[in-house]
Amino acid sequence: MILNDILTIPKDDAVAFTFFTGYMAMLAASIFFFFERSRVDDKWKLSLLVSGLITFIAAVHYYYMRDYYVATGDNPTVLRYIDWTLTVPLMCVEFYLLTKAAGAKVDLLWKLILASVLMLVAGYIGEAFVPLNADGSPSDGATSHSVMWGVISTIGYIYILYTAWFGEVAQLAKNSESEVVKTGVRILAWFVLVGWAIYPIGYMCMPGGWLNTAFGWGSQNVDLFYNIADAINKIGFGLVVYNIAISSSKKAA
Amino acid sequence: MTKAIFIFLASLLILIPILFHYGAIPITTQLIICAPFILFLGIPHGAIDNILYRKNHSVGNTVFITVYLIIIALNVALWYLAPVLAYCMFLTISAYHFGQSQFSHYLSKQAFISKMIYLFWGLTILSGLLFFNTNEILEINNEQPQFAEINTLFSEDFIGLLFLISIISTLGLLIFSKVTNVISLENLLMELLVLGLILTSFYLLPLLIGFTLYFIVLHSYKVISEEFRFLKSEGTVKSTLAFVYLVAPLTLLSFFGIAFLFALIYLNILAMSYGFCLLIVISSITLPHVFVMHQFYDLLFSKKFYQMEK
Repeated sequence: MILNDILTIPKDDAVAFTFFTGYMAMLAASIFFFFERSRVDDKWKLSLLVSGLITFIAAVHYYYMRDYYVATGDNPTVLRYIDWTLTVPLMCVEFYLLTKAAGAKVDLLWKLILASVLMLVAGYIGEAFVPLNADGSPSDGATSHSVMWGVISTIGYIYILYTAWFGEVAQLAKNSESEVVKTGVRILAWFVLVGWAIYPIGYMCMPGGWLNTAFGWGSQNVDLFYNIADAINKIGFGLVVYNIAISSSKKAA
Repeated sequence: MTKAIFIFLASLLILIPILFHYGAIPITTQLIICAPFILFLGIPHGAIDNILYRKNHSVGNTVFITVYLIIIALNVALWYLAPVLAYCMFLTISAYHFGQSQFSHYLSKQAFISKMIYLFWGLTILSGLLFFNTNEILEINNEQPQFAEINTLFSEDFIGLLFLISIISTLGLLIFSKVTNVISLENLLMELLVLGLILTSFYLLPLLIGFTLYFIVLHSYKVISEEFRFLKSEGTVKSTLAFVYLVAPLTLLSFFGIAFLFALIYLNILAMSYGFCLLIVISSITLPHVFVMHQFYDLLFSKKFYQMEK
């Protein structure tokens, strides 16, 4: 009875489908990263631990978010941003750990974390506090609110993108003697460029958002895009780090 | 990713939601917003053609400028005699030039396949611009009597077909270039992303703002940056300021030239609309500029400029 109440998924609900598959994928990835940790050199163990933590934290949140969504049909915005507040800075830690051997300083880590906090806080205000009418439709000022906080959030994203492609992270990777690190950082930079860019598409689907008002994309698409982006970025990001660690360990052996 | 692509992407991410929020922007307002960028970045990128050409050819400055002016005069004459032909020639030559500047840093020589990529890539973005903004362009053209003949070209079916053929050819040529190892997989992905972003910007942004963003950031900024780096490597200029001094004379001359023509129209001495006059001016300075830039890229390849920079 309880299972029936909680786990009834409408056959045509792609959002619920991605919540459930997202949850399992994150959990499976966490187990994979934690177990594989023993197969890499000591210097890569912390990186793999962080990869595992990113997907594990996401898995726990997806566990709650999928139930919340199936029970209410609403966007689990607060849970989503709690998850990101923990996992996005950890992705910045991955950049730092990868380039640490090439001379990255803690300053770099803090700058990336600050940019990610700006990105998330502005995104949260833009999404959670959008002015709505009683029936959930966007009220006057919803689009201005969404655009203003979206643009502020984008500034944080642009800073991280710049750092990954041209700034300190890119320079450190360039100066690194390891080809594996160079390639790995470049692939992670691609993740930031393409993978992270999926999130704004979701953001713009919320009531009052640009895609919502211009093309009528419904707010259910917010979670669809976020779930797809999370799966690509969190698991993909971890797999790139894993690939760097395993390749580097094999070379050293 | 080049810095130009980064600036383009960042500008796009910021501009799209803001401009959408403000709604439709009248063409005059668009022109006021875009004009400073075109004047101060667009025109200067072609203001040292004489210096660039003479780097590889033993021609005097007077001879160069005379030939340059003759080409301009012939083009103006063509606009009077056959405006549709002049317009088609302008678009085709511009397309080639845009493609050439977009791909120059990947290549080591201007092989036939490279030239095909230049042309079709450029045709893709120009036909895309026309295709996604047909109504806006027709509206502008209908306000100006001299554009009536050109309007015959603007059948949505024709532009759509041209866009389709161009984009399929471009994608095919890019994939062929990857298969034959002319460009890497990463470069192929980046170019597909950039092409997608340019076309998205043409679709979403107002006509002039969309084009100016591409023209200034991805074209003029890239070209002017290459010109500066090349002249610096040659010892012709030592600083940014010196480069500004170098481009200033012909840039200012162009400003005065355009202002003079506009004054003639204003005083009813020249019977022509401002828009049509500007189109002839732009096409006339584009024609010799494209030729010079082709020679300039030949020079860069022969000197292995891009390889030396890596």
